[in-house]
Amino acid sequence: MTEYEAVIGLETHIQLNTQSKIFCSCKADSWNDPPNTNICPVCTGLPGVLPVTNRVVVEKAALLAAAMHAEIQPVSFFDRKNYFYPDLPKGYQISQYDRPLARGGYLDVPLPDGTTRQVTIEKLHIEEDAGKTKNDNGRRLIDFNRCGVPLIEMVTGPDLRSADEAAQYLIRLRQLLRWLGVSEADMEKAHLRCDANVSIRMVGADYLNPKTEIKNVNSIVAVKEAVQTEIERQIREVEAGKRIEAWTLEWDEDAGVLRKMRSKETEADYRYFREPDLLPIHISEAWLAHILQELPELPLERRARFISQYGLPEYDADILTGERSLSDYFEAAVALYPSDPKRVSNWLLNDLMRMLNESGKLASELRLTPDYLVEIIRLVDAGTVNTTTGKSLLDKVEASGKRPGEIVNAEGLAQVSDTGAIRQAAQQIVSANPEQVQSYRKGKTTLIGWFVGQLMRETRGKADPQLARSILEELLSE
Amino acid sequence: MRRQGFTQSRYVIIPAMSLTLEEVEHIAELARLELTEAEKARYREQLSAVLDYIARLQELDTENIPPTSSVLPARTPLRPDVPRPGLPLEELMKNAADTEQEQFRVPPVLD
Repeated sequence: MTEYEAVIGLETHIQLNTQSKIFCSCKADSWNDPPNTNICPVCTGLPGVLPVTNRVVVEKAALLAAAMHAEIQPVSFFDRKNYFYPDLPKGYQISQYDRPLARGGYLDVPLPDGTTRQVTIEKLHIEEDAGKTKNDNGRRLIDFNRCGVPLIEMVTGPDLRSADEAAQYLIRLRQLLRWLGVSEADMEKAHLRCDANVSIRMVGADYLNPKTEIKNVNSIVAVKEAVQTEIERQIREVEAGKRIEAWTLEWDEDAGVLRKMRSKETEADYRYFREPDLLPIHISEAWLAHILQELPELPLERRARFISQYGLPEYDADILTGERSLSDYFEAAVALYPSDPKRVSNWLLNDLMRMLNESGKLASELRLTPDYLVEIIRLVDAGTVNTTTGKSLLDKVEASGKRPGEIVNAEGLAQVSDTGAIRQAAQQIVSANPEQVQSYRKGKTTLIGWFVGQLMRETRGKADPQLARSILEELLSE
Repeated sequence: MRRQGFTQSRYVIIPAMSLTLEEVEHIAELARLELTEAEKARYREQLSAVLDYIARLQELDTENIPPTSSVLPARTPLRPDVPRPGLPLEELMKNAADTEQEQFRVPPVLD
């Protein structure tokens, strides 16, 4: 059996999260808005209008380019890409062609086996989105809300080697986009769209075989499945002595199959020319420096630093840097509790992550601030509350917004470490349950857990469990 | 070295001296124009004349002259990112040939 490897490149369209559109002041995000409610003469291509570029689009694009290690061009141009389609009211899309905003660049993608795949970027430019065509029983209805929404088109080199790597690239890209705050990067809402170019070759070969292009893949899982399906199909074809033709395929998510799309005869004849209505974008050194002030420490850098600086396991560091505000939260908490970063990490991974998942909030939106979390950990450390109470405090602080110490006082949650009080409660339980006491004394010592449970219930969870256990053991062995 | 008889833009290389009939048909197709045989012949002639003229300009030595994309001061004005209401729907739909469910309705198109 011959060994094949897949050669995959991804073309992504990233919707920037600006307030307004790229060349007019209409609201950019129309999610849940009725059709044709965020449109104006500019984005619907009425005669006599002129586009004016949104400053923040250039800034967010430059920020992303810098994070992709691309070379930001001091001068770049807009071009018209001409084609006719009903959802493209001007008859051309304003894009960039031979003088894009940035050149080169790469994204490092850590792989599950511990290695890193460096994925090169072949193309990174700004463009406007087109509208939406809806087919409704043979009728074609057009919604122009999406016309003029700012996009970054980013195309990778043929650097990915498996369906899983393609998925990993998208996961890391999505993480980066959210980290930078340039896009919501929600694939289900089409903020991040992906086409995949797939071919196969013998392992170790350095040439490229004809590729197919898969369109309409709207989730990371779908990209993985569609690419895997196509790799397997190409291997079957080649094994059967057939040639791979440069088809365009569409992924049918429900059926899990790829369908061949009809190719347009005039495809790729877009007759690009300079957009005469727009002047070139000049990014001065001063402006670029201003933009790059917003460039944060990137996720992979922070992940590496968490491992080296705080001695965290890779697993912890990866999860904590999965999202920027969670990693900021961790650092703020560790600054207040520098003696044991791993202990802070455990509280975040075990408890805070659950709260975030349940509430759908970002770490920065919690009322349980890093300050309050550390206060709870210290209350547990000092033995003021036991671990169970400490964990229940997390939700109480989140619900009330009050300081943990305040809640402990108001609700009388402090751990009972008073031997007398615990002994009294233990004696009551022992005398009230003669049957259990008898079986314990006959050798069923596992019942100790039940006795401790009774005592914790009696003291509303406040007793020091270790102390309770030893007192109970003492009473029961008498 | 510049090749004689070609206009060489950054985008396409068009043989200037005689545009073929097929090229005229292709351009018409891209512009979604249906031309009669007489029109094709006429446009072939006219477009060839335009390209011939461009070819003459190509004879100039522009080796050390940067391309001119615009004669205006070369810096795009930028707009703050502040959304404003656009046009009311009824205003925008006024000139539409056909509308349905607050959307523009278009005839079926070839995919």
